[in-house]
Amino acid sequence: MSASREVEARLRETAEKLLREKKVSVFLGYEKASLPFRTTPLFLTHAEEAERLAWNPFCAVNLAVYLPRLFATHVGVRDAGTAAPPAVGIALKGCDMRSVMALIQERQVRRENLVLVEVACAGIVDGRKAEKALGGREALGAGEDGQGNIRVVVDDGSEITLQREDVSSEACRECRYSASPYHDVMVGVPMEGEKADGSRRRIAEFESRPLESRWASFQQTFSKCIRCNACRQACPMCYCKTCVFDQNRPSWIGAGTESSDVALYHLVRALHLAGRCTGCGACERACPVGIDVRLLTRKLCVEVEELYGYRPGEALEGIPVLSSFAMDDPQEFVTEP
Amino acid sequence: MTEKLLSQANLERLLSRLADGGAVWVPGREETGDVAIMPWLPENPVTLDYRNFLQSPKVFFFPQNQTLLRFEDGKSKEPILPEGEVFLFGVRPCDARALTVLDRVFLGDRGDPYYAHLRQRTTVIALACTRTMASCFCSSVGGGPGDGTGADVLAVELAEDLLLKAQTDKGESLLSSGADMLREAGEAAVEESQERIRNAESQLARVRTEDSVRRLRDAFDLPLWEAAGLKCLGCGACSFLCPTCHCFDITDEVRGGVGRRTRTWDCCAYPLFTLQGSGHNPRPTARERWRQRVMHKFRYAVESFDTPFCVGCGRCIRSCPVALDIRTTLRDLGA
Repeated sequence: MSASREVEARLRETAEKLLREKKVSVFLGYEKASLPFRTTPLFLTHAEEAERLAWNPFCAVNLAVYLPRLFATHVGVRDAGTAAPPAVGIALKGCDMRSVMALIQERQVRRENLVLVEVACAGIVDGRKAEKALGGREALGAGEDGQGNIRVVVDDGSEITLQREDVSSEACRECRYSASPYHDVMVGVPMEGEKADGSRRRIAEFESRPLESRWASFQQTFSKCIRCNACRQACPMCYCKTCVFDQNRPSWIGAGTESSDVALYHLVRALHLAGRCTGCGACERACPVGIDVRLLTRKLCVEVEELYGYRPGEALEGIPVLSSFAMDDPQEFVTEP
Repeated sequence: MTEKLLSQANLERLLSRLADGGAVWVPGREETGDVAIMPWLPENPVTLDYRNFLQSPKVFFFPQNQTLLRFEDGKSKEPILPEGEVFLFGVRPCDARALTVLDRVFLGDRGDPYYAHLRQRTTVIALACTRTMASCFCSSVGGGPGDGTGADVLAVELAEDLLLKAQTDKGESLLSSGADMLREAGEAAVEESQERIRNAESQLARVRTEDSVRRLRDAFDLPLWEAAGLKCLGCGACSFLCPTCHCFDITDEVRGGVGRRTRTWDCCAYPLFTLQGSGHNPRPTARERWRQRVMHKFRYAVESFDTPFCVGCGRCIRSCPVALDIRTTLRDLGA
């Protein structure tokens, strides 16, 4: 039996109890999806349906993305704002929990309405990597074995084992600490300790390349972008009621895929996430064309950490770094016009 | 028109002949390992080892950004339409069939000259599917792994050869231009091609769509829209990868007296899509927007055009960041 099966059973018990005792009116978790390597978010409202909850290495979505909208009132919806805000239970991986902490700090969710259930996380699988690792075969079903590797039944009838390391999400490979310091309920045994921030190595490698090579890399990457908004929509920290890219009086950016528009989209998004991105990788996994959208956001977070000693998602109190100002803030990066 | 055989060893020769008459696009492997349709270069091998392209070939007919016209000092200038023939080899039957959906929209009573031009200059050589994906359901929406609708030539991969069958006059003339490389397909080859297609067909998921109009007529207030709307992130990946989605926006970009009018893809998953000047939005949440997507494809389209605006390619299912599955919605509509 895989470790995630035991965690799954504890998670179901936890959610069942929270709903039965009416501590929450909805519990956000995952359930089995129609395709292998995937799960789909579940908004559970009945304790007796807790068996639908799944926990496995395919729980890729950062469910924190739903919290601001659960508490938001929709403009134009009748009765919006009159209903009492819901009491919400939510299953969170360590990185997802950091997103919730950042959302609490930025006053986007009601802490008193939340029951934060952290689920011990051993990292998740990037479905796209797993599909590629099958070498042209099509997966019909997938699960985790006792060693944490991924067993896949493919369409020629055979069974393949994919090494977990080979199909881990990039964000998980770079993960500094898989457990969060903060939660209401812990399900499973959290991993102790802190590792080096893996994204720094990748950023250093990128920065060591000559200018032309970096520019070529950006151009090649952005040429794949189709300007859907999957990276933005999957990100818990992108909660603006009207995104700058959705404004049309005036339009700040063209809607299409011309290179200047694409570059502007990604640069502005990265800047808006400076000191706010918790590195969960939801953006990258959501991207339908497989762009490494994290390189820029991680780079800016590393900058913020070096300049201000600030890491997002580690405290509930205090002012987010880019909302604060001190006379002795470093400003060497400010250039004269 | 009878079926012809082209030895796979002769494929490059045929492509090279096509390249004398225009731009040739073929399935090739990208650095990332994905197979995409790309310009044919003699030094890059064509691969037949793929199930489908990540992105649909609709960009060749309905580009994501299109300059419709330029203007200067209050006078518009004729649009510059791209010149030259284009040959697409290896388009899958679902994506070829999707062109007949786009034709219904763009070539109706008021034909769209931009689309018409791109459609006219492009020859589509579809490649039948001999393997399917878990997200495929073409045979539930009128297509099939060996469906040649929308293509000019349908090719089927056999052990050594490609079996080719013209679907249009354009396809006929393509085949006659390569007649020296082709030979008549015997009964055995035809039977082999049919067997391969049947085999693919047997792997396909079945989805109930035939009575979708009736079932959707009474479905406007079903709770399933709420459930899907809660999950939907509103990103639009489904629509941008869809071979039949065709909604667009038109923008004028002006600087001084000079400017251009561009057409870009738009998407019903976005709030701005229906935001009115008054500030009112008739589809205020993802619930209404997701419902519109399903209603448009499986009710309004069938009512207006006698065919669902879906070809079962499954891209929306594979690309959805939260694994929303339109097949599940169609199933859960009830009796």
